[in-house]
Amino acid sequence: MTREEILSKKPLHVLEKIRENLERLNEKMEVMIELQRHGHKDAQPLNDAPLDVMTLLSMPDHLRKTAMTICRCGRATAEEVSQQTSRARAVESAYLNQLVIMGYLKKERQGRKAYFYADRDSQR
Amino acid sequence: MSKIVAVHSYKGGTGKTLLSVNLAATFAKHGKKVCLFDLDFRAPSLFAILKVDNAECWLNDYLNGNCSINKVLIDLSSRILGNGKFFAALANPTTEAIREMSAKDRKWEMRALGRLLSLRNTLLNDQFDYLIFDTSPGLQYSSINAIVTADFVVVATTGDRSDVDGTRRMLQELYNLFEKKTGLVINKVLDPTSKSQKEEMDKRVKNVYQVPMLGLVPCFCEVLRAEGNLIFAQDKPNHPFTKILDEMATKIENNDVN
Repeated sequence: MTREEILSKKPLHVLEKIRENLERLNEKMEVMIELQRHGHKDAQPLNDAPLDVMTLLSMPDHLRKTAMTICRCGRATAEEVSQQTSRARAVESAYLNQLVIMGYLKKERQGRKAYFYADRDSQR
Repeated sequence: MSKIVAVHSYKGGTGKTLLSVNLAATFAKHGKKVCLFDLDFRAPSLFAILKVDNAECWLNDYLNGNCSINKVLIDLSSRILGNGKFFAALANPTTEAIREMSAKDRKWEMRALGRLLSLRNTLLNDQFDYLIFDTSPGLQYSSINAIVTADFVVVATTGDRSDVDGTRRMLQELYNLFEKKTGLVINKVLDPTSKSQKEEMDKRVKNVYQVPMLGLVPCFCEVLRAEGNLIFAQDKPNHPFTKILDEMATKIENNDVN
Protein backbone atom coordinates (compact mmCIF):
# COMPACT_ATOMS: atom_id res chain seq x y z
CA MET A 1 0.00 0.00 0.00
CA THR A 2 1.44 3.40 -0.98
CA ARG A 3 1.71 6.30 1.38
CA GLU A 4 -1.05 8.07 -0.52
CA GLU A 5 -3.34 5.07 -0.15
CA ILE A 6 -2.72 4.82 3.59
CA LEU A 7 -3.38 8.54 4.00
CA SER A 8 -6.56 8.32 1.95
CA LYS A 9 -7.84 5.36 4.06
CA LYS A 10 -7.00 6.94 7.40
CA PRO A 11 -9.74 9.58 7.50
CA LEU A 12 -12.33 6.87 6.73
CA HIS A 13 -11.00 4.71 9.55
CA VAL A 14 -11.06 7.67 11.93
CA LEU A 15 -14.60 8.54 10.88
CA GLU A 16 -15.75 4.95 11.46
CA LYS A 17 -14.17 4.97 14.92
CA ILE A 18 -15.87 8.27 15.74
CA ARG A 19 -19.23 6.86 14.59
CA GLU A 20 -18.73 3.75 16.73
CA ASN A 21 -17.90 5.84 19.77
CA LEU A 22 -20.86 8.12 19.12
CA GLU A 23 -23.14 5.08 18.95
CA ARG A 24 -21.84 3.87 22.30
CA LEU A 25 -22.27 7.32 23.78
CA ASN A 26 -25.77 7.43 22.35
CA GLU A 27 -26.61 4.13 24.05
CA LYS A 28 -25.31 5.46 27.36
CA MET A 29 -27.39 8.62 26.92
CA GLU A 30 -30.47 6.52 26.23
CA VAL A 31 -29.90 4.58 29.45
CA MET A 32 -29.47 7.81 31.44
CA ILE A 33 -32.63 9.26 29.92
CA GLU A 34 -34.49 6.04 30.70
CA LEU A 35 -33.28 6.10 34.29
CA GLN A 36 -34.40 9.71 34.68
CA ARG A 37 -37.76 8.96 33.12
CA HIS A 38 -38.65 5.97 35.27
CA GLY A 39 -36.80 6.84 38.45
CA HIS A 40 -33.88 4.99 39.99
CA LYS A 41 -35.82 2.57 42.16
CA ASP A 42 -36.44 0.18 39.25
CA ALA A 43 -32.88 0.27 38.07
CA GLN A 44 -30.60 -0.73 40.90
CA PRO A 45 -27.52 -2.36 39.38
CA LEU A 46 -27.61 -6.06 40.14
CA ASN A 47 -25.24 -8.80 39.16
CA ASP A 48 -26.78 -11.79 37.39
CA ALA A 49 -30.35 -11.29 38.58
CA PRO A 50 -32.40 -14.26 37.38
CA LEU A 51 -34.81 -13.42 34.58
CA ASP A 52 -37.45 -15.88 35.75
CA VAL A 53 -41.19 -15.72 35.05
CA MET A 54 -42.05 -14.11 38.42
CA THR A 55 -39.52 -11.35 37.66
CA LEU A 56 -41.07 -10.94 34.19
CA LEU A 57 -44.51 -10.65 35.80
CA SER A 58 -43.41 -7.95 38.23
CA MET A 59 -41.66 -5.83 35.58
CA PRO A 60 -43.20 -2.64 34.22
CA ASP A 61 -45.08 -3.38 30.97
CA HIS A 62 -42.61 -1.60 28.68
CA LEU A 63 -39.63 -3.62 29.96
CA ARG A 64 -41.55 -6.91 30.05
CA LYS A 65 -42.24 -6.69 26.33
CA THR A 66 -38.54 -6.25 25.59
CA ALA A 67 -37.43 -8.95 28.06
CA MET A 68 -40.00 -11.41 26.67
CA THR A 69 -38.68 -10.84 23.16
CA ILE A 70 -35.14 -11.66 24.27
CA CYS A 71 -36.48 -14.77 26.07
CA ARG A 72 -38.09 -15.92 22.82
CA CYS A 73 -35.19 -15.02 20.51
CA GLY A 74 -32.42 -16.11 22.86
CA ARG A 75 -30.00 -13.51 21.51
CA ALA A 76 -30.85 -10.38 19.54
CA THR A 77 -29.80 -6.84 18.66
CA ALA A 78 -31.93 -3.77 19.46
CA GLU A 79 -32.85 -3.68 15.77
CA GLU A 80 -34.11 -7.30 15.84
CA VAL A 81 -36.09 -6.69 19.03
CA SER A 82 -37.64 -3.55 17.55
CA GLN A 83 -38.84 -5.56 14.54
CA GLN A 84 -40.67 -7.94 16.90
CA THR A 85 -42.17 -5.29 19.17
CA SER A 86 -42.91 -2.66 16.48
CA ARG A 87 -41.27 0.01 18.63
CA ALA A 88 -38.39 2.28 17.59
CA ARG A 89 -34.87 0.84 17.66
CA ALA A 90 -33.67 3.64 19.94
CA VAL A 91 -36.48 2.86 22.41
CA GLU A 92 -35.58 -0.85 22.46
CA SER A 93 -31.90 0.01 22.81
CA ALA A 94 -32.74 2.09 25.89
CA TYR A 95 -34.88 -0.67 27.43
CA LEU A 96 -32.30 -3.36 26.65
CA ASN A 97 -29.52 -1.34 28.23
CA GLN A 98 -31.70 -0.73 31.26
CA LEU A 99 -32.26 -4.49 31.58
CA VAL A 100 -28.46 -4.92 31.40
CA ILE A 101 -27.99 -2.38 34.20
CA MET A 102 -30.62 -4.23 36.24
CA GLY A 103 -28.60 -7.42 35.81
CA TYR A 104 -31.25 -9.37 33.87
CA LEU A 105 -29.50 -9.32 30.49
CA LYS A 106 -25.94 -9.54 29.23
CA LYS A 107 -24.56 -7.50 26.37
CA GLU A 108 -21.87 -8.61 23.97
CA ARG A 109 -20.33 -6.66 21.13
CA GLN A 110 -19.47 -8.26 17.82
CA GLY A 111 -17.94 -5.61 15.59
CA ARG A 112 -20.37 -2.72 15.50
CA LYS A 113 -23.36 -4.82 16.57
CA ALA A 114 -24.39 -5.24 20.22
CA TYR A 115 -26.16 -8.50 21.08
CA PHE A 116 -28.34 -8.90 24.16
CA TYR A 117 -29.17 -12.22 25.87
CA ALA A 118 -30.24 -13.76 29.16
CA ASP A 119 -27.20 -15.59 30.46
CA ARG A 120 -28.86 -18.72 31.80
CA ASP A 121 -25.69 -20.79 31.94
CA SER A 122 -23.94 -18.47 34.39
CA GLN A 123 -26.89 -18.81 36.76
CA ARG A 124 -25.58 -21.88 38.51
CA MET B 1 -48.52 -23.74 11.33
CA SER B 2 -46.88 -25.56 14.22
CA LYS B 3 -47.75 -24.51 17.74
CA ILE B 4 -47.12 -24.99 21.43
CA VAL B 5 -50.44 -25.27 23.26
CA ALA B 6 -50.57 -25.09 27.08
CA VAL B 7 -53.63 -26.34 28.96
CA HIS B 8 -54.03 -24.51 32.25
CA SER B 9 -56.63 -23.61 34.89
CA TYR B 10 -56.97 -21.64 38.10
CA LYS B 11 -58.22 -24.53 40.19
CA GLY B 12 -57.56 -28.27 40.12
CA GLY B 13 -60.13 -30.75 38.89
CA THR B 14 -61.27 -28.64 35.95
CA GLY B 15 -60.31 -31.31 33.39
CA LYS B 16 -56.90 -30.12 32.21
CA THR B 17 -55.41 -33.59 31.85
CA LEU B 18 -58.56 -34.97 30.21
CA LEU B 19 -58.50 -32.08 27.72
CA SER B 20 -54.72 -32.30 27.11
CA VAL B 21 -54.71 -36.03 26.40
CA ASN B 22 -57.81 -35.89 24.22
CA LEU B 23 -56.74 -32.77 22.32
CA ALA B 24 -53.35 -34.39 21.62
CA ALA B 25 -55.09 -37.59 20.47
CA THR B 26 -57.44 -35.52 18.27
CA PHE B 27 -54.55 -33.68 16.60
CA ALA B 28 -52.86 -37.05 15.99
CA LYS B 29 -56.12 -38.40 14.55
CA HIS B 30 -56.12 -35.40 12.20
CA GLY B 31 -52.75 -36.67 10.91
CA LYS B 32 -50.60 -34.25 12.93
CA LYS B 33 -47.34 -35.03 14.69
CA VAL B 34 -47.99 -34.40 18.38
CA CYS B 35 -46.04 -34.58 21.61
CA LEU B 36 -47.84 -34.40 24.95
CA PHE B 37 -45.87 -33.04 27.93
CA ASP B 38 -46.70 -33.66 31.60
CA LEU B 39 -45.64 -30.38 33.24
CA ASP B 40 -47.66 -31.09 36.38
CA PHE B 41 -44.64 -32.02 38.49
CA ARG B 42 -46.61 -31.73 41.74
CA ALA B 43 -49.09 -34.40 40.72
CA PRO B 44 -47.86 -36.29 37.65
CA SER B 45 -50.63 -38.31 36.02
CA LEU B 46 -49.92 -38.89 32.33
CA PHE B 47 -47.81 -42.00 33.04
CA ALA B 48 -50.97 -43.57 34.55
CA ILE B 49 -53.40 -42.32 31.89
CA LEU B 50 -51.09 -43.44 29.06
CA LYS B 51 -50.21 -46.66 30.93
CA VAL B 52 -46.46 -46.21 30.69
CA ASP B 53 -44.66 -48.18 33.38
CA ASN B 54 -41.20 -46.75 33.13
CA ALA B 55 -39.31 -44.17 31.15
CA GLU B 56 -35.63 -44.10 30.20
CA CYS B 57 -35.54 -40.44 31.19
CA TRP B 58 -38.17 -38.15 32.65
CA LEU B 59 -38.99 -34.55 31.78
CA ASN B 60 -37.50 -33.73 35.19
CA ASP B 61 -34.11 -35.01 33.94
CA TYR B 62 -34.32 -32.82 30.82
CA LEU B 63 -35.16 -29.71 32.85
CA ASN B 64 -32.33 -30.56 35.26
CA GLY B 65 -29.98 -30.57 32.26
CA ASN B 66 -29.16 -34.27 32.70
CA CYS B 67 -30.33 -35.58 29.33
CA SER B 68 -31.46 -34.52 25.87
CA ILE B 69 -35.18 -34.14 25.13
CA ASN B 70 -35.11 -37.02 22.64
CA LYS B 71 -34.27 -39.44 25.45
CA VAL B 72 -37.43 -38.34 27.28
CA LEU B 73 -39.82 -38.82 24.36
CA ILE B 74 -41.84 -42.04 24.29
CA ASP B 75 -43.34 -43.10 20.96
CA LEU B 76 -46.98 -44.13 21.44
CA SER B 77 -47.95 -43.73 17.77
CA SER B 78 -48.89 -47.41 17.47
CA ARG B 79 -51.78 -46.78 19.87
CA ILE B 80 -53.52 -44.18 17.73
CA LEU B 81 -55.68 -44.31 14.64
CA GLY B 82 -54.54 -42.74 11.37
CA ASN B 83 -51.19 -41.52 10.12
CA GLY B 84 -50.37 -39.04 12.84
CA LYS B 85 -47.55 -39.33 15.38
CA PHE B 86 -48.22 -39.42 19.11
CA PHE B 87 -45.33 -39.02 21.57
CA ALA B 88 -45.28 -38.27 25.29
CA ALA B 89 -42.77 -36.67 27.68
CA LEU B 90 -43.62 -37.68 31.24
CA ALA B 91 -43.06 -36.24 34.70
CA ASN B 92 -41.43 -38.49 37.28
CA PRO B 93 -44.25 -39.66 39.60
CA THR B 94 -42.10 -40.78 42.56
CA THR B 95 -42.56 -38.91 45.84
CA GLU B 96 -38.85 -38.14 45.95
CA ALA B 97 -39.00 -36.48 42.49
CA ILE B 98 -42.11 -34.46 43.42
CA ARG B 99 -40.38 -33.27 46.60
CA GLU B 100 -37.23 -32.39 44.69
CA MET B 101 -39.15 -30.43 42.01
CA SER B 102 -41.10 -28.44 44.61
CA ALA B 103 -37.86 -27.24 46.21
CA LYS B 104 -36.32 -25.63 43.13
CA ASP B 105 -35.12 -22.03 43.34
CA ARG B 106 -35.62 -19.06 40.99
CA LYS B 107 -32.38 -19.62 39.14
CA TRP B 108 -33.33 -23.21 38.38
CA GLU B 109 -36.75 -22.06 37.19
CA MET B 110 -35.07 -19.55 34.91
CA ARG B 111 -32.94 -22.27 33.33
CA ALA B 112 -36.03 -24.50 33.08
CA LEU B 113 -37.77 -21.70 31.16
CA GLY B 114 -34.78 -21.56 28.80
CA ARG B 115 -34.98 -25.32 28.24
CA LEU B 116 -38.73 -25.18 27.57
CA LEU B 117 -38.25 -22.27 25.15
CA SER B 118 -35.54 -24.19 23.32
CA LEU B 119 -38.05 -26.98 22.52
CA ARG B 120 -39.41 -24.67 19.83
CA ASN B 121 -36.12 -25.03 17.94
CA THR B 122 -35.40 -28.67 18.74
CA LEU B 123 -38.85 -30.24 18.34
CA LEU B 124 -41.26 -27.96 16.53
CA ASN B 125 -41.43 -27.92 12.71
CA ASP B 126 -39.10 -30.84 11.93
CA GLN B 127 -40.26 -33.44 14.42
CA PHE B 128 -43.67 -32.19 15.57
CA ASP B 129 -46.58 -29.99 14.54
CA TYR B 130 -47.94 -29.57 18.07
CA LEU B 131 -46.49 -29.68 21.56
CA ILE B 132 -49.25 -29.92 24.19
CA PHE B 133 -48.33 -28.89 27.75
CA ASP B 134 -50.47 -30.28 30.56
CA THR B 135 -49.79 -28.02 33.57
CA SER B 136 -50.36 -27.66 37.31
CA PRO B 137 -53.28 -25.45 38.33
CA GLY B 138 -52.85 -21.89 39.59
CA LEU B 139 -49.97 -19.48 39.57
CA GLN B 140 -46.79 -21.43 40.10
CA TYR B 141 -43.45 -21.58 38.38
CA SER B 142 -43.84 -24.69 36.21
CA SER B 143 -47.23 -23.52 34.91
CA ILE B 144 -46.15 -19.95 34.21
CA ASN B 145 -43.01 -21.26 32.46
CA ALA B 146 -45.32 -23.35 30.27
CA ILE B 147 -47.62 -20.38 29.57
CA VAL B 148 -44.71 -18.11 28.64
CA THR B 149 -43.41 -20.78 26.25
CA ALA B 150 -46.79 -21.48 24.64
CA ASP B 151 -48.31 -19.84 21.55
CA PHE B 152 -51.84 -20.56 22.69
CA VAL B 153 -53.32 -21.30 26.12
CA VAL B 154 -56.43 -23.40 26.62
CA VAL B 155 -57.95 -22.25 29.91
CA ALA B 156 -60.16 -24.88 31.50
CA THR B 157 -62.80 -23.68 33.95
CA THR B 158 -66.10 -24.76 35.45
CA GLY B 159 -69.19 -22.82 36.43
CA ASP B 160 -68.22 -23.13 40.10
CA ARG B 161 -68.16 -19.83 41.98
CA SER B 162 -64.76 -20.63 43.49
CA ASP B 163 -63.30 -21.04 40.00
CA VAL B 164 -64.93 -18.14 38.11
CA ASP B 165 -63.40 -15.24 40.02
CA GLY B 166 -59.89 -16.72 40.13
CA THR B 167 -59.97 -17.59 36.43
CA ARG B 168 -61.07 -14.06 35.57
CA ARG B 169 -58.23 -12.53 37.58
CA MET B 170 -55.73 -14.97 36.11
CA LEU B 171 -56.81 -14.03 32.59
CA GLN B 172 -56.41 -10.33 33.31
CA GLU B 173 -53.32 -10.42 35.48
CA LEU B 174 -51.34 -13.28 33.98
CA TYR B 175 -52.20 -14.04 30.35
CA ASN B 176 -52.80 -10.39 29.45
CA LEU B 177 -49.43 -9.35 30.85
CA PHE B 178 -47.71 -11.98 28.71
CA GLU B 179 -49.92 -11.07 25.72
CA LYS B 180 -51.01 -14.69 25.32
CA LYS B 181 -53.72 -15.86 22.98
CA THR B 182 -56.26 -17.80 25.01
CA GLY B 183 -59.35 -19.91 24.44
CA LEU B 184 -61.71 -20.69 27.29
CA VAL B 185 -63.18 -24.16 27.77
CA ILE B 186 -66.08 -24.34 30.17
CA ASN B 187 -66.16 -27.90 31.43
CA LYS B 188 -68.77 -29.94 33.31
CA VAL B 189 -71.65 -27.84 32.05
CA LEU B 190 -75.07 -29.12 33.15
CA ASP B 191 -77.89 -29.17 30.62
CA PRO B 192 -75.89 -27.45 27.85
CA THR B 193 -78.49 -28.26 25.21
CA SER B 194 -81.02 -25.82 26.58
CA LYS B 195 -81.02 -22.51 24.79
CA SER B 196 -81.07 -20.52 28.01
CA GLN B 197 -77.99 -22.35 29.30
CA LYS B 198 -76.02 -21.64 26.11
CA GLU B 199 -77.04 -18.00 26.11
CA GLU B 200 -76.11 -17.73 29.77
CA MET B 201 -72.67 -19.21 29.05
CA ASP B 202 -72.02 -16.92 26.10
CA LYS B 203 -73.03 -13.93 28.20
CA ARG B 204 -70.83 -15.01 31.06
CA VAL B 205 -67.78 -15.51 28.86
CA LYS B 206 -68.26 -12.11 27.22
CA ASN B 207 -68.97 -10.19 30.40
CA VAL B 208 -66.86 -11.95 32.97
CA TYR B 209 -63.81 -13.32 31.17
CA GLN B 210 -63.59 -11.09 28.10
CA VAL B 211 -61.77 -13.79 26.11
CA PRO B 212 -62.92 -16.01 23.23
CA MET B 213 -64.66 -19.28 24.02
CA LEU B 214 -63.00 -22.38 22.58
CA GLY B 215 -65.65 -24.85 23.66
CA LEU B 216 -68.38 -25.92 26.02
CA VAL B 217 -68.08 -29.44 27.44
CA PRO B 218 -71.15 -30.97 29.03
CA CYS B 219 -70.90 -33.15 32.12
CA PHE B 220 -70.72 -36.64 30.60
CA CYS B 221 -71.34 -39.54 32.96
CA GLU B 222 -69.50 -41.82 30.50
CA VAL B 223 -66.30 -39.82 31.04
CA LEU B 224 -66.53 -40.37 34.81
CA ARG B 225 -67.49 -43.99 34.35
CA ALA B 226 -64.41 -44.64 32.17
CA GLU B 227 -62.25 -43.82 35.26
CA GLY B 228 -59.41 -42.53 33.08
CA ASN B 229 -59.14 -45.83 31.20
CA LEU B 230 -60.31 -44.47 27.86
CA ILE B 231 -59.00 -41.79 25.55
CA PHE B 232 -62.35 -40.76 24.12
CA ALA B 233 -60.88 -39.12 21.01
CA GLN B 234 -59.44 -42.52 20.08
CA ASP B 235 -61.61 -45.12 21.75
CA LYS B 236 -65.07 -43.56 21.26
CA PRO B 237 -65.02 -41.91 17.82
CA ASN B 238 -68.78 -41.28 17.80
CA HIS B 239 -69.16 -39.95 21.33
CA PRO B 240 -70.37 -36.30 21.59
CA PHE B 241 -67.25 -35.46 23.66
CA THR B 242 -65.07 -36.63 20.74
CA LYS B 243 -67.04 -34.39 18.39
CA ILE B 244 -66.56 -31.37 20.68
CA LEU B 245 -62.81 -32.13 20.78
CA ASP B 246 -62.74 -32.31 16.98
CA GLU B 247 -64.27 -28.83 16.80
CA MET B 248 -61.82 -27.43 19.35
CA ALA B 249 -58.78 -28.94 17.60
CA THR B 250 -59.98 -27.64 14.22
CA LYS B 251 -60.41 -24.14 15.67
CA ILE B 252 -56.85 -24.23 17.04
CA GLU B 253 -55.47 -25.61 13.76
CA ASN B 254 -57.18 -22.87 11.74
CA ASN B 255 -56.40 -20.04 14.21
CA ASP B 256 -60.13 -19.61 14.43
CA VAL B 257 -60.56 -18.74 18.12
CA ASN B 258 -62.27 -15.36 18.21
